[in-house]
Amino acid sequence: MVARPSTALLLRRLRGLTPALRRRPESFVTGRYTAPYLVNRDCCRPFSSTGSGSPSDNAHQSTSDPNFTTVSPDEVSHFNALASSWWDPHGPSRILHLMNPLRHDFIRMCRNSVLDAPSTTGLTYLDIGCGGGIFAESAARLPGTKSVTAIDPSPEVLNIARGHARRDPSLRNKLQYLNTPIEQLTATIFKQDPQQQQQPQQPQYDVVSVFEVLEHVSSPAQFLDQCAPFVKPGGWLVMSTIARTWLSWFTTNLMAEDVLRIVPRGTHDWQKYVNEEELRGHFMAGRSGQWAEPRCMGVIYVPGVGWREVRGSEKVGNYFFAVRKTAEEE
Amino acid sequence: MEALLSRSRQLRRPASRLCWSCSRQLGAQARRTYASAASQPDIYDVVCVGGGPAGLSLLTALRSNPATAGLRVALVEAQDLAKTRDWKLHPDRFSNRCSSLTPSSANFLNRIGAWDHLARERVQPYHEMQVWDGVTDARIEFDWDTPSTGRTIAYMTENLNLTSGLLRRMDGIGGTDVFDKVKVENITLGEDKDDLDLTQWPVVHLSGGKQLAARLLVGADGANSPVRAFAEIESRGWDYDRHGVVATLEMEDEGWGGHDMKIAYQRFLPTGPVAMLPMPGRYATMVWSTTPRNAALLKSLPAKDFLAMVNAAFRLRTVDLEFMHTMESGQAEELLWRLQHTHVNHQSVPQTVVGVQEGSVASFPLKLRHADTYIGERVALVGDAAHTTHPLAGQGLNAGQGDVESLARAIEYSVLHGQDLGTRMSLEAYNSERYAANHVLLGVVDKLHKLYSVESGPLVPLRSFGLNAVNAMRPLKNFFMEQAAGKGAKLF
Repeated sequence: MVARPSTALLLRRLRGLTPALRRRPESFVTGRYTAPYLVNRDCCRPFSSTGSGSPSDNAHQSTSDPNFTTVSPDEVSHFNALASSWWDPHGPSRILHLMNPLRHDFIRMCRNSVLDAPSTTGLTYLDIGCGGGIFAESAARLPGTKSVTAIDPSPEVLNIARGHARRDPSLRNKLQYLNTPIEQLTATIFKQDPQQQQQPQQPQYDVVSVFEVLEHVSSPAQFLDQCAPFVKPGGWLVMSTIARTWLSWFTTNLMAEDVLRIVPRGTHDWQKYVNEEELRGHFMAGRSGQWAEPRCMGVIYVPGVGWREVRGSEKVGNYFFAVRKTAEEE
Repeated sequence: MEALLSRSRQLRRPASRLCWSCSRQLGAQARRTYASAASQPDIYDVVCVGGGPAGLSLLTALRSNPATAGLRVALVEAQDLAKTRDWKLHPDRFSNRCSSLTPSSANFLNRIGAWDHLARERVQPYHEMQVWDGVTDARIEFDWDTPSTGRTIAYMTENLNLTSGLLRRMDGIGGTDVFDKVKVENITLGEDKDDLDLTQWPVVHLSGGKQLAARLLVGADGANSPVRAFAEIESRGWDYDRHGVVATLEMEDEGWGGHDMKIAYQRFLPTGPVAMLPMPGRYATMVWSTTPRNAALLKSLPAKDFLAMVNAAFRLRTVDLEFMHTMESGQAEELLWRLQHTHVNHQSVPQTVVGVQEGSVASFPLKLRHADTYIGERVALVGDAAHTTHPLAGQGLNAGQGDVESLARAIEYSVLHGQDLGTRMSLEAYNSERYAANHVLLGVVDKLHKLYSVESGPLVPLRSFGLNAVNAMRPLKNFFMEQAAGKGAKLF
């Protein structure tokens, strides 16, 4: 991969914002394994730079541009192809199905970890990059949930999600799917709701979830900035992704995709993985004052056993990360 | 989902504030209007077909757990449950269908609040087991290290006492829609209509036209399970060519250990094991596995000769007993004569049987069956619908309670994590947990049956050596006892 000028520019700018980035490779990528993947740091995608050759993918792109999107077209077509097997429990998404209960455990842990006792009823969720709706459906089924809004840029995947939700009468009136990227979500909601047209208000949710999405968008930092306004003050922004280490390359790319074939080939682009300290730095240093209470949980998939929480494993593989909003952006 | 559904149920049925029969009538009215609005099925989270011990404890477990109490559940049963609910027998009469409930089953029943609803004076704990080989007399005595504490091995319970207790508990909590005295006429898949796609939901068609759509359809409907047939799950196994003869017996006294130290006895005869299990007072229940021909003879004998056969079964040499099975009458006199020539240590066999309760002698064929899997999409099998075993270990009903406990846990996990509790994915944990455990149980029981069917040859001294060796080794014996009691590492 050739580093483009814009990438380098943005890199420099972002390194100022996220000091953690500078420490990134040394601690976990050591010895001879370093050579092929990390010898030139610019060759691996920094947290906030561009990863694909999409024309909209530009550091100078303004978010006010109606066509701006962090969605990567290659990714959309990859997941379109997977759409029909999304809900097959023994299909390519099995490992995602197995992970889903841990997402709820993590959210529960986050919400229970703060002193001001959170309400356990009437919760609203926004699930960004909902895919076939594995998390969105399950969130809507929880007794404490008032409503779930779930969005995804892939129309094929969303059709699967809508079709599947029809199979469960308890999801009616609780779960809404919208085919929109995050950048156009507000506009989409305004269009739907006549009340919003008269007195437009930023739609906000108790829990905004971004599960297994960061490693698929083209510029994670900009993407997260797009998500942030949708979190209610006191609410949580919850995400999950994979740490970018040689070990995660070995497990998620080589073993999971090529050798064991438990994940469809081409699902993961290792260079797009995001490290925990990069996320922490983004929210705690880069957007200081708006976010607090960072929480993290590392999980490991053991074939035949399932997903297990393993302390410290956020440094090497899949992990959940959450922050709580304390104030609005100024 | 559960909140939504339970709200609608509460609107229709303020069950908590009304007595059972009133709320049932209210429910029936509401259901009629609901059904007449459209011929659409009524939607439930869990529909359980079969109101035996397994089905009733599953629904009671779900209703008594706050996490799953919001689920909308229904019970379908062909029999009139009012009869079970009002079941009552004279204090010294006992039903002939009894089960030995392990402490682990009893703990589970206690956790779901049902144990207190059993007629406790009719439940008999026992504290010691005597098992011996009818051919060689090799013996194993199961008692706990500290007999003074009288630790319970298991509780002898009439099946009807258990089901009526469970029903009372279920009625007490309320919230279960009960459809009894109805037949399951058909089970189909739902339709894709309007904004709802029920094409993967089983719909139970009841006699009378009622239709119940089930997020999860539970087959607790016995060995010939219609739910299993609907799910196209094969059940494999074989018949033992043996019948279990049961009877409620009266003994000369309360047993060698007295009131506080009850003993269960089992003797392995070449035709099958005969077991004498203590009931309250001077009563006991017998299960005698034998050939269909012997069973027919036993059932045809007058009381006096039947009693002689039972006493002979625990005392005489196997050849003598075999001979008595060929006699058409006069067993009582024959036993008196033969006992004069047989050395019996009276303290090591059950006390003499002096009476049999009228109408309590019955028999049923013994078989081994195991379903290929316990789950399908929106289907789960529990109890006899999933497995049938030889009664020699007294584990059939306990295995069913183990199934129910595991399935209820899987359902709770699904509810707490927003999973659709009926999907195969959500049921996988139940299947993997219980299939392996029951497979071991069925296999061990089957091998025991076959091992003790052998009358001569090298196997006979070997099995006696094994029994004696186990008897001499306390840790190994304790392991077997922990297993029988349903404690320790859960193998069975």
